[in-house]
Amino acid sequence: MFKNEEMEINLGPQHPSTHGVLRVKLRLDGETIKHCYPVIGYLHRGVEKICENKTFFQGQVWTDRMDYVAAVSNNLGWAEAVEKLMGISVPRRARYVRTLLTELNRISSHLLWLGTHAMDIGAMTVFLYAFREREEILDIFEAFCGARLTTTAFRIGGLRDDIPPGFEAKVRAFQDRFLACVDEYEELLTENRIWKKRTVGVAPISAEDCIAMGVTGPVLRAAGVAYDIRKAFPYAAYSEMQFDVPTRMEADTYARYQVRLEEMKQSHRIVQQCMDGLPEGAVMAKLPKILKSEVNEVYHAIEAPKGELGYYLVGEKGGVNPYRFHVRGPSFVNLQALPMMTEGKLLADVIAAIGTLDVVLGEVDR
Amino acid sequence: MSLLRTLIPFDIYNGLKLTGRYFGRNFFSANRKKVKANLKHITVEYPEVPIHLAPRFRGRLQMLRDEQGEIKCICCLACERICPTQVITIEKDKKEGRKLPFPKVYTFEMERCIFCEFCVEACGYDSIILNHQFELAAYDREDFSHGTEGAFQNMFKPTPIGTFSVAGDDDANAPHY
Amino acid sequence: MMQMTPIPMTIVQTLVMALIQIIAILAFIFVLVPMLTFAERKVIGYVQVRLGATRIAGGNRGLTGAVNKLMWWMGHFPVISFFRGLPIFMADGLKLVTKEDIMPAKADKFVFWLAPILCMVPAFAVFAAVTFYPGVLGVFPAWFPIVGGLPVTGYMTDINVGLLYILGLASVGVYGIVLGAWASNSKYPLLGGLRSAAQVISYEVPLTLSLLAPVILTGSLNFRTMSVDLATKMTPWAIIPLFIGFFAYLTCGFAETNRVPFDLAEAESELVSGFHTEYTGMKFGWFFLSEYTNMIVVSALATAFFLGGHYLLPFGLQQFVPASAGWIAQPHLIFFIGKIGFLLFVFLWVRATLPRYRYDQLMSVGWKYFIPLTLVNLFIAGLVRFMA
Repeated sequence: MFKNEEMEINLGPQHPSTHGVLRVKLRLDGETIKHCYPVIGYLHRGVEKICENKTFFQGQVWTDRMDYVAAVSNNLGWAEAVEKLMGISVPRRARYVRTLLTELNRISSHLLWLGTHAMDIGAMTVFLYAFREREEILDIFEAFCGARLTTTAFRIGGLRDDIPPGFEAKVRAFQDRFLACVDEYEELLTENRIWKKRTVGVAPISAEDCIAMGVTGPVLRAAGVAYDIRKAFPYAAYSEMQFDVPTRMEADTYARYQVRLEEMKQSHRIVQQCMDGLPEGAVMAKLPKILKSEVNEVYHAIEAPKGELGYYLVGEKGGVNPYRFHVRGPSFVNLQALPMMTEGKLLADVIAAIGTLDVVLGEVDR
Repeated sequence: MSLLRTLIPFDIYNGLKLTGRYFGRNFFSANRKKVKANLKHITVEYPEVPIHLAPRFRGRLQMLRDEQGEIKCICCLACERICPTQVITIEKDKKEGRKLPFPKVYTFEMERCIFCEFCVEACGYDSIILNHQFELAAYDREDFSHGTEGAFQNMFKPTPIGTFSVAGDDDANAPHY
Repeated sequence: MMQMTPIPMTIVQTLVMALIQIIAILAFIFVLVPMLTFAERKVIGYVQVRLGATRIAGGNRGLTGAVNKLMWWMGHFPVISFFRGLPIFMADGLKLVTKEDIMPAKADKFVFWLAPILCMVPAFAVFAAVTFYPGVLGVFPAWFPIVGGLPVTGYMTDINVGLLYILGLASVGVYGIVLGAWASNSKYPLLGGLRSAAQVISYEVPLTLSLLAPVILTGSLNFRTMSVDLATKMTPWAIIPLFIGFFAYLTCGFAETNRVPFDLAEAESELVSGFHTEYTGMKFGWFFLSEYTNMIVVSALATAFFLGGHYLLPFGLQQFVPASAGWIAQPHLIFFIGKIGFLLFVFLWVRATLPRYRYDQLMSVGWKYFIPLTLVNLFIAGLVRFMA
């Protein structure tokens, strides 16, 4: 008499918790996910093609707009990839400042992740507490480069300007407060029984699957693989920094939460080292008037807050713009794992899984 | 022991304690207190309380004049070339009593500007800056494309700002431009 | 105890008296619910280190300008500054009333209309059996037409199965949610409605079981008798079942009213808005109103049966206050309303703090923890009653 029908439902592209314009096609049996299919491309702007028509100098502003939550990391990747292509060596002070800002950016990106992820699971207040600290980091960015979100922080060959007066005091004030703030988030979430119920064992993905899907970043480290490009292939000033790569074995949402919280503390540590050991000297390398590339190709990967962010650049002889440009975006690759993580689980777990993958649709669609 | 921990929700009590502490701290403090490192609240009551911008803040493009009131720009077109979104268009002209070229038309289409400050960086004559304005909303699309003679947002003047503040004279500080 | 000697009244007098009481209660609800929405903005705002609503639209000229200026001035003082933005509760109501009413083209029109009414009427009707004050609040002046010289009681009806009536009506409300979700002919509301049905049905059981402990302790189902007896005539041991029962009841009350951490039916981050996704304007307003009215009902019951009702001290501790202690020993309307207010604050406080359960976890918490817990509590209550 009654048919047992499966229901198809569109999660997004306009939905409160798909973090932008992600659309997930779900086939539901009751509330159980039978099939999950992410549909992307709603924010496609063709960043890679645009950059091929811009000079190396101009290209950076497009990297701001890919992963707009971690614009500084994107800038760093672009600047270093171009420097690698041209064979420019950057002064030590510039490398330190870059490391400092990138780590602050990692904290701010993780804070945004924490806030939105907790909000998806229903804890509203963590969002505002996280944004309170993120606001301070954005103020630091504003003091350094004049913009809060689309920073365009670095220049090829170093920095545009040295750190402004008062910058150090600002960073130190933030550093002094930050660890206590992390404790506040932990007090609200880590031991909370509802949070644990919603995250422990939810959306698991094993290390083998992670590697097979190309998943990197905290998701991979939460599966027990201590792969961090900052350690494996140090760039900027990371070879001179002391820090740990946090890992967990559980490979679930709770483990990723722990890994990211621990990463924030490690970033705090790196920022402290950068502040203490900031060398004197110039911040800009000697550059030719017009940057021209040779026939060359580079792949430069950095550890963005979301995972491996790689820039592939091909230069032609005397070219002022890249002949070919490709971005290996961590959000895009990590999003592939979503069906694997959610099929057979409940609808509410999809929300938790999207949150825990920490995708930014500006980078997925590019 | 674990059963006891399940039955008595210490974890939830801890969370409630934290949020309750914040509520109490906010409730028993005046809103107008100076915000210090141990934040009472993070709301900036804009426009009554002015926003403090960093000196390097990148706002709207503005042209500068020198002491004699002459336009500093000499039409080298560096800004036009460097601009990633091509929002600047310059037309050269000659003017009596001025040796260097003079921008007859300097169009700046703000609707496409991404405020990257590359133009200012490229300018060798310090003739343009990004000022500290961020209240740039306008009702017409035409208002965004303004040149030296623009009606609404002139290249030399700050953008007119609506007055929305209800603060008394004792509260309002001068805006930080 | 203030046993009221019944004064003979004509039918007309009874009806007019009831009408006056209904109007008073409706006024109470219609004032408290908008205040609650205002409080929700402000409490959650203050918890989240921000200010919440502090001004109303309209710039700095005219009436709105004057109000805005006043509210800006209020910000100089602690505590008073909490009430900045108070006029926003009128704006909220006005917005709901004047908003365009949209109905999905393929919706079941009749049921779509019926659902908000089904949701709201039981929520209001429950107040007929709630005792706000166990006695006479005052006497109408003699010049008052029809009911002049008659006493006004602090309750509308004094039915002897008051609790049964309340529980019966409270479970009707879920039909409104389910029917509204079904009639919307949309997928997210459907999921929300199904969740809500399962949730309310499974939490009705522990809710009722936790309320049975006071019933056993007092041996009555009459709201007024129970609330007075629970405050003043308990053995000291009764504090144990009342204490456990209070927390079990409050948790189930959160679940019954679809509030955080059990707000699965409208789970904003999962189901957009749950069962009322397709509702707009005042039809949504009725759902909204009924949710908040239900919160008041849950708080009123918790106050009456566990927190000492109209007396000062909760959990039956009032009996240790000597009768000679003056006004502290006497029941007061203000105690009742104040405790309701505190519980409503707890609702908002919890909402600002806790995450949300998942659908299946919610059910397992209900069946595996709360039903055994309330049964044990019931057993303890029986034991206490037996020993007394």
